[in-house]
Amino acid sequence: MRELLKTRVAEMLREGRVDGVVGLIESHGEPLPYLFTADDTAALERISTGELQGRLAELIPGVVRYPLGKILTAVARKHPDKRFGVMCRACDERVVFGLFQNLQLDPDKVEILGLPCKEELARACSCPAPAPRSAIVDQPSREAWDRADLERIDAMALDERFAFWVEELGRCIKCYGCRNACPVCFCDVCTLQDDGLVKKGEIPAELPAFQLTRAWHMVGRCVDCGLCQEACPMDIPIRTIYRKVRSIVGELFDYFPGERDGGKSPLEQLGDGSFPIQ
Amino acid sequence: MSAEETARFEPRIVAFCCNWCSYAGADLAGGMRLKYRPNLVPIRVMCSARVAPQFIIRAFQEGADGVLVAGCHIGDCHYVKGNFITAKRVAILRRLIEFMGIPRERLRLEWIAASEGDKYARVADAFTEEIRALGPSPIKDIRFGERSRSCASC
Ligand code: SF4
Ligand code: SF4
Ligand code: FES
Repeated sequence: MRELLKTRVAEMLREGRVDGVVGLIESHGEPLPYLFTADDTAALERISTGELQGRLAELIPGVVRYPLGKILTAVARKHPDKRFGVMCRACDERVVFGLFQNLQLDPDKVEILGLPCKEELARACSCPAPAPRSAIVDQPSREAWDRADLERIDAMALDERFAFWVEELGRCIKCYGCRNACPVCFCDVCTLQDDGLVKKGEIPAELPAFQLTRAWHMVGRCVDCGLCQEACPMDIPIRTIYRKVRSIVGELFDYFPGERDGGKSPLEQLGDGSFPIQ
Repeated sequence: MSAEETARFEPRIVAFCCNWCSYAGADLAGGMRLKYRPNLVPIRVMCSARVAPQFIIRAFQEGADGVLVAGCHIGDCHYVKGNFITAKRVAILRRLIEFMGIPRERLRLEWIAASEGDKYARVADAFTEEIRALGPSPIKDIRFGERSRSCASC
């Protein structure tokens, strides 16, 4: 797959279809995000699909994920007139589609190189849809979504839920890792740091205001990539909250961010006024 | 809570009222000298759509036992379609707070016209009693104990 990826990236750059490709490069056995360009042919030799190499592979099982969609957004903002390719796992692809829907990326200026994930990774990520649609190789689609986390909390009585979240969120050290890792968090000014809305200067983060605010902002955005969860140093099951947001929006509006034909988020459209009080 | 405690508990309810309809409705309820529960604290906003979900979250964080969002009936919004978005927001937020263990009944949306002073009074009574039955918001009792720290950078 690496060879194929390399060929495809080289081709895109040579033909001038794109000005750069956001992907991963291998550096001392570790994949790191990198912007490949036509004049940088040496770098292309080290392009990576995200697998760890050498000693690191023995230490850490599996692959490393990065918010490539977020990196692409940053690069595209700096160079609004340029076209970019982007290497995408299925989650990255949902991110990119989600960013199209939220008008943060221009679909006419982005070309996706989809890489299917291995079964083990899909399971480890509890991935809702591990097969990217723009995959460069054929792949079986394997559903690995495990809803156990959501179902467990949904089954709790309300006071039990409340106690659960006080215990879990009470560990939050307000590192903002969940926000920083989230590829669909794209605002310039963050409500989480607005002293009038979420109190500053103390930990644990104000509860429930901090996480409710972050969760609210995931309405019509969260694509369930799980990067927030990987980033949280306190092991708080925050992804479950955003999964809930995703399922609420799905149930009420049949809208799933990151699906290509999903259109705009229900909160970005006024609608016809027929949505009842509920 | 014992029956006696329930009877003694006076809910504090934040009521976001849009300027053009619901606030006028509340005003009319007063003008009509209707008797209704005094537990609602009205906050006048220009439109129900001005009530960013952050305001609702903030009210709960500050210890509100319930939050009412009141706006014009669909079709009557002064800004034409503001309340279309309010309906969607509140529906999502009610389900979200419930996932965190806060009953969705603590957040309520009502359309109250300027002419509906009686409706304002009825909603105030019904909502107050509903919240009284639910008891005080548990958010007020959160204590972090020795986990609490001040933090200069966050
Ligand atoms: S799963 Fe987490 S990081 Fe990924 S989009 Fe949702 S909130 Fe953002
Ligand atoms: S990553 Fe975890 S600890 Fe850091 S702010 Fe988010 S929830 Fe809190
Ligand atoms: S002005 Fe009353 S809801 Fe918009």
